[in-house]
Amino acid sequence: MHRLRVMLNVYKQYWRINILTTLEYRENFLIWFVFTFIYHGSAVAALWIVLNRFPSMNGWTFRDMAFLYGMWMLAHALHNTFFSTVGDIPEHVRDGEFDRLLVRPLDTLFQAIATPGQVFPDELILAVITFCAATWYSGVVVDATFLAFVPLIVVGGALIDLAFNLVISTVAFWFVRVDALRWIVVQLEQEFTRYPISIYSRGVRLLLTFVVPFAFMNYFPARFFLHKAHEHAMLPESVGLLTPAIGLLAVALAYVFWRIGLNRYSGVGH
Amino acid sequence: MRPRFRFEPYVQFMQKAMAREATYRFDVFTSVASVLVRVYLLRMVWVALYARNAAPSELPLHAIITYSTVALLMGLVMDIDQTRLLYEKLHTGGIATDFMKPIIVPLYLFADGSGEVIFHAVLIVPSLLLALLIVHIDVPGPLTLATFFLSFGLGYLVGFCINFILNCVAFWTLEIHAMQLIVTWVTDLFGGEIIPLVIFPAFLQKVAFALPFAAMFSTPLLIYVGVIKPERYAAALGLQAFWIVVLGLIATLMWRAGAKRVVVQGG
Repeated sequence: MHRLRVMLNVYKQYWRINILTTLEYRENFLIWFVFTFIYHGSAVAALWIVLNRFPSMNGWTFRDMAFLYGMWMLAHALHNTFFSTVGDIPEHVRDGEFDRLLVRPLDTLFQAIATPGQVFPDELILAVITFCAATWYSGVVVDATFLAFVPLIVVGGALIDLAFNLVISTVAFWFVRVDALRWIVVQLEQEFTRYPISIYSRGVRLLLTFVVPFAFMNYFPARFFLHKAHEHAMLPESVGLLTPAIGLLAVALAYVFWRIGLNRYSGVGH
Repeated sequence: MRPRFRFEPYVQFMQKAMAREATYRFDVFTSVASVLVRVYLLRMVWVALYARNAAPSELPLHAIITYSTVALLMGLVMDIDQTRLLYEKLHTGGIATDFMKPIIVPLYLFADGSGEVIFHAVLIVPSLLLALLIVHIDVPGPLTLATFFLSFGLGYLVGFCINFILNCVAFWTLEIHAMQLIVTWVTDLFGGEIIPLVIFPAFLQKVAFALPFAAMFSTPLLIYVGVIKPERYAAALGLQAFWIVVLGLIATLMWRAGAKRVVVQGG
């Protein structure tokens, strides 16, 4: 209990520093905002251009696809805001900074997450706006189920992201350079969350559902809220509400892997 | 005082760059793997889109799949920032000693970049062979194919000029990463690398065709799939040449102004 209070305190300090940094570098914050806007803007523009010419993608319209994108963007932005520091672990391992975390009396992963840097909340702000706009635009009914489940689903989606981030960072205990691997996974996530997975062959659908469960970040929840029951007949519509559970499971597995990697790392004795 | 021009040093620079690239083996593997995944992905996307909608008459399904696959293979070469060395040299200050050497610095950068590009161009072969397991690609007649390669070469020069201009900005701002990424996204969209410009809505098509990015990907690709007919080859290649001249001029002016700054700062 005491330990938890300490961690909470440390975490509060961490965000205090982040916010102070943001206020200090106001111009940078604005530049990043514009930057993030152009990035997501060009992605949505590409979707719009394609669906303007081909109005239906396997029964999904641009309005549906906007909701699909908004859902992924929100989960992804939540991860980037709170857990992107996990991705810096390989760098700390390389330059030896990581060893300092090992000798401190707090959980190593927690310390890695709470390493101050320049974390701007620009993407999260933009994602919330985009998600609200996409929900309105796609005509999804905002009822009690929506309000109760969407926050949980978004957190679950962010946890799926965290699980992959953590697994890749753990690989750095064995192979020092993981930049290429990270790049591949980031690319795959972006590409495979953009379209409804029903357009892929059976094998790829199974892969995205059970092995690399990116489909739970946005496809299954979107299918539930947009009532596309005819899609992907092998699983019922309500699996879209399982995202929080899948997220927890993914992070739990990733954490086990992390512990194995960590034990091995301390075993070597840098 | 200008030393007599010799060609051999630049061949050496090129070979050195190729050897340097060859050491990043894992990156080579990821580039090829990423191309293959994208070939599969784009094939599925176009199949899904053509299944439920009226196909555009100028681009039937097999043509658009060919377009996307060739575009991804071109990307292996085109998506490289060949003049990153300039940015690095500006950061480390190494540019100052380069100015003292008896070489033409922009040509040195071009040779270094081309070495990197040639190394990556070799990757097109295994990528193509593996891609053929996933998709079927149309092969045009010899005249079209020859024009395509010529146009591809011109597109490469357009890309080189754009990268060179961006890296020249580092003479003034030092930090150019964000700007480069933005240009990359704009090129992806308006260059026709992912979505052929001919399926853009009319007004956006006008904008896209008026920008230099179309000269990089769209022109060679539309020649390849036969949307640009032989009677329009001269005009298409001419427009690419026009962009090379314009961008080359801007690059030269920026280089001269930037080089002066280095001299001034160097005292």
